[in-house]
Amino acid sequence: MRSGSEVRVEDLTWRPFGRSRPVLERLDLEIGPGERVLLAGPSGSGKSTLLRAVAGLLLTADSGELSGEVTVGGAAPQAVPGSVGLVLQDPGAGVVASTIGRDVAFGLENVQVPLAEMSPRVRAVLDEVGLTMPADCSPATLSGGESQRLALAGALVMEPSVLLLDEPTAMLDAATAAGVRAVVAEVVARRGLTLVVVEHRLDGWLDLVDRIVVLDGSGAVVADGDPRRVLAERGESLAAQGIWVPGVPDPEPLPIALDPAPDAAAGRVADGRVVVSAMDVRVEHTTRRLGEPSRATLAVDGADLDARAGRSVALVGSSGAGKSSLMTALGGLVAPSAGAVEPALPLTPAEAGDRGSTRDRLAPPHEWASTDLARVVAWVPQRAATSIVGRTVRDDVLTTPLALGQDRERAGRRADALLATLGLAHLADVDPRQLSGGEQRRLAMASAVAHGPALVLADEPTVGQDRLTWAAVAGVLAAARDEGAAVVVTTHDPGVVDDADRVVTLEAPAQPAPDPAPERRPLLSRVGPLALLAAALCVLPLPALLDSWRQGVFVLGVEVLLGLLGLLAPGRGRAPKGRLRGVLGRLAPAALAVLGVAWSAWLLGGRDLEVASGAALRVLCLLVPSAVVVGFIDPEQLGDHLAQRLRLPARPVVAATAALQRVQAFDTLWAELMATRRVRGTRADRGPVARGREAVAVTGGLLVGALGQASALALAMDARGFAGATRRTWAGPAPWRLPDTLTLAAGLLVVAAGVAARLTLS
Amino acid sequence: MTSTITASGPLTRWRTIDLLTCAFLGVAFGVAYWAWGLVYAAPSAAVSAGFPPLAALFSWPWLVAGIVGMLIIRRPGAAVFTELLAAVVSALIGTQWGLTTLVSGLVQGLGVELGFAAFGYAVYRWAPLLLGGFLGGAFEAVYEWYSYWTDWGWDYKVAYLLLLGASVAVLGSLLSVALTRGLASVGALNPFPPGQEVREQRAV
Repeated sequence: MRSGSEVRVEDLTWRPFGRSRPVLERLDLEIGPGERVLLAGPSGSGKSTLLRAVAGLLLTADSGELSGEVTVGGAAPQAVPGSVGLVLQDPGAGVVASTIGRDVAFGLENVQVPLAEMSPRVRAVLDEVGLTMPADCSPATLSGGESQRLALAGALVMEPSVLLLDEPTAMLDAATAAGVRAVVAEVVARRGLTLVVVEHRLDGWLDLVDRIVVLDGSGAVVADGDPRRVLAERGESLAAQGIWVPGVPDPEPLPIALDPAPDAAAGRVADGRVVVSAMDVRVEHTTRRLGEPSRATLAVDGADLDARAGRSVALVGSSGAGKSSLMTALGGLVAPSAGAVEPALPLTPAEAGDRGSTRDRLAPPHEWASTDLARVVAWVPQRAATSIVGRTVRDDVLTTPLALGQDRERAGRRADALLATLGLAHLADVDPRQLSGGEQRRLAMASAVAHGPALVLADEPTVGQDRLTWAAVAGVLAAARDEGAAVVVTTHDPGVVDDADRVVTLEAPAQPAPDPAPERRPLLSRVGPLALLAAALCVLPLPALLDSWRQGVFVLGVEVLLGLLGLLAPGRGRAPKGRLRGVLGRLAPAALAVLGVAWSAWLLGGRDLEVASGAALRVLCLLVPSAVVVGFIDPEQLGDHLAQRLRLPARPVVAATAALQRVQAFDTLWAELMATRRVRGTRADRGPVARGREAVAVTGGLLVGALGQASALALAMDARGFAGATRRTWAGPAPWRLPDTLTLAAGLLVVAAGVAARLTLS
Repeated sequence: MTSTITASGPLTRWRTIDLLTCAFLGVAFGVAYWAWGLVYAAPSAAVSAGFPPLAALFSWPWLVAGIVGMLIIRRPGAAVFTELLAAVVSALIGTQWGLTTLVSGLVQGLGVELGFAAFGYAVYRWAPLLLGGFLGGAFEAVYEWYSYWTDWGWDYKVAYLLLLGASVAVLGSLLSVALTRGLASVGALNPFPPGQEVREQRAV
């Protein structure tokens, strides 16, 4: 194994296009082999930029003017792929595969390590970072701390000489962060690696490093040396710039005086009385991954929670305990599958709104119209960027007040005062998506309370924030509470827990035990993706081939017979459930296509039922094979087969496969964007024009999310040698076996049946 | 589109971020398409009940993925890659057209691609947009003639082709340009040519 390399940065200047001033200007820095350095500085000081420069990845996800030189062990950083390992802040941002073993092997594939060598190296490095679960387990099942250890393993397997960590513990709770730091300390010591860590929470890292380098707001080195000495000299000024310096007391919540909102819901319920109460609530989540049946998991079971006016509740518990789910159920953002959520009578639409009907009075909050819900509930999701709905910062804050018809002038005064206190006034006319993470977080808080809601829900609002934004978030929550709102916060942050009036601890509900008997596998699950795809697509000539309903019935019969055969699951064990239901479920939308074609044929063919049914059968013959096989196609295997069997170019195939792993994330993002619009009072409840505009707006949000994920993943992948991987090896085999041949033959048999029908049946 | 900036380096040398951006745009559009597919059927059926080729007026959004991919990445293959991946995702999630959606994605992407290829991948203004949009729509229409509308006479078939081509060329291009500009203006396209165009406009 290699030991640490020297890092040398000389006269480095980097100006991203579109910025008038460089982020880094004429920077010089030398790091000795095996030296361990903590890089600190206020937000926007260029810490992460410097890290990317050392990794040789500045131009991977951004464009700009770069000059100067960076060398690692005397060579360009990416000269040896993987020699500089990089771990990013967001756990899971760099995941490329569907199993943890495959994910770790990614770098090895890029440098063409033979398949036989991969698995022992992967297992060894998984053990080294303390991931003891089987290598075929899905990255989606890992906790935040485990995900960061997986990212570390992905870097370590390449045997780097320099390890770069970009805020690796910012999104983790204190105990988990300590666990990750311990693994880092152990690995770095054992391998003698050069280490550079960027963090704005310094405690915990100080014992692990032997040098601290402090950058100022303009990207210049202002202090460099022994951590204790540097902090003794500069600790106070660093803390004032927002850095969490050990020994400096936590910040006080920012004092915020809110002008009363016009027609606010806050204060309608008397101080200390229940605003909303969740009773015996159960929430279930459906997770869906391509190529697997969707699975329902129990997020919350039998939970109770009261939110009281003028009081705050901190919801705590380990990750996966259902904190967010209970909170969103309380706010009417998800429908509980059992139990009840009851708002106080003065807050129901019948009392508060203008559409007084008994139905509205009795309806649970998850059925309320968008503006009715917005009047009462505010929700700040964990990703502040999702909650942006306005074109400018001021627009965003005023969205809900104006949607509720509040007085424009009074609402505007309240909004401006909020923006001024939170240090956003100078950004009022800027597009909110241009803001930094901390600024977006403060904006999300301002927009949540702008209209005076009676219930304020915030999901981990302080995670990863510097001291300044922390104080702003705590200040907004306190101000909302003081004007009579009930505040509910999910958190791991001891500072937030201390400020809360009440702490509720959740525990993960017991999942229903899986059936111990092994499930038999349908025949089709033994078939590779290429054969499945070929079988489903070789029926394409059928519509042109068949010209009567009798021929259609015959071919459809052959298809159904072969399909049922493929769904058979011989052998011993428990019968798999829902095989036919799955196929019929996939055919339900096809019914639309069939009806459309049948209608137009009926219209054209002299309103003849035979003509119409012939047309319908032709389309059915086209779609039934798809419905049977599509559930058995695994995107990752498809990628392996496309690259190895069909010799498609490796890099596009890998990029596509990595993106397909994230379909679930986009599904979640879509739901979150819709929930945000609903709780902000801008959800289109009716009307095709409004819905069309909403679809475009939400698609835009999805695309922004897509671009963000793409740039983070590009960094992670290029750090693992993907940039030059036009030829690579593959950790997944792509065999062609008897079941594949039989499946392809079945597809051809259907076409043959079509030809036979055409020749023999009228 | 007033200026035309092409991608950095040799056009055929895709960077990792180019590949991933196309792939993720494809996935995002695939999810959006799946959701659009749930709502578009009823109005489409209502409008086209009397004259079936009018269904074309509701089909143009399916081509937006490829056009947006090409407008952002500006490299050969961007339209096919993005459109095909959007089709793969919506097919795997489950659309009314099953795996045959892949064929649609391929021919739609090819059509759009040809429009830009005709201008040597050097022009990203209205001319290639109109040509590519029309070809994409036309290719899809021809594919549908043989898979879905086998009973139609030539009058209907040609009307459908012209309607679909024209609506993609005009409406699809408009939406694609709007989405691309929106993304560029919020700084999401900095590593790509449209981001550079925005910066140059601001620099003046």
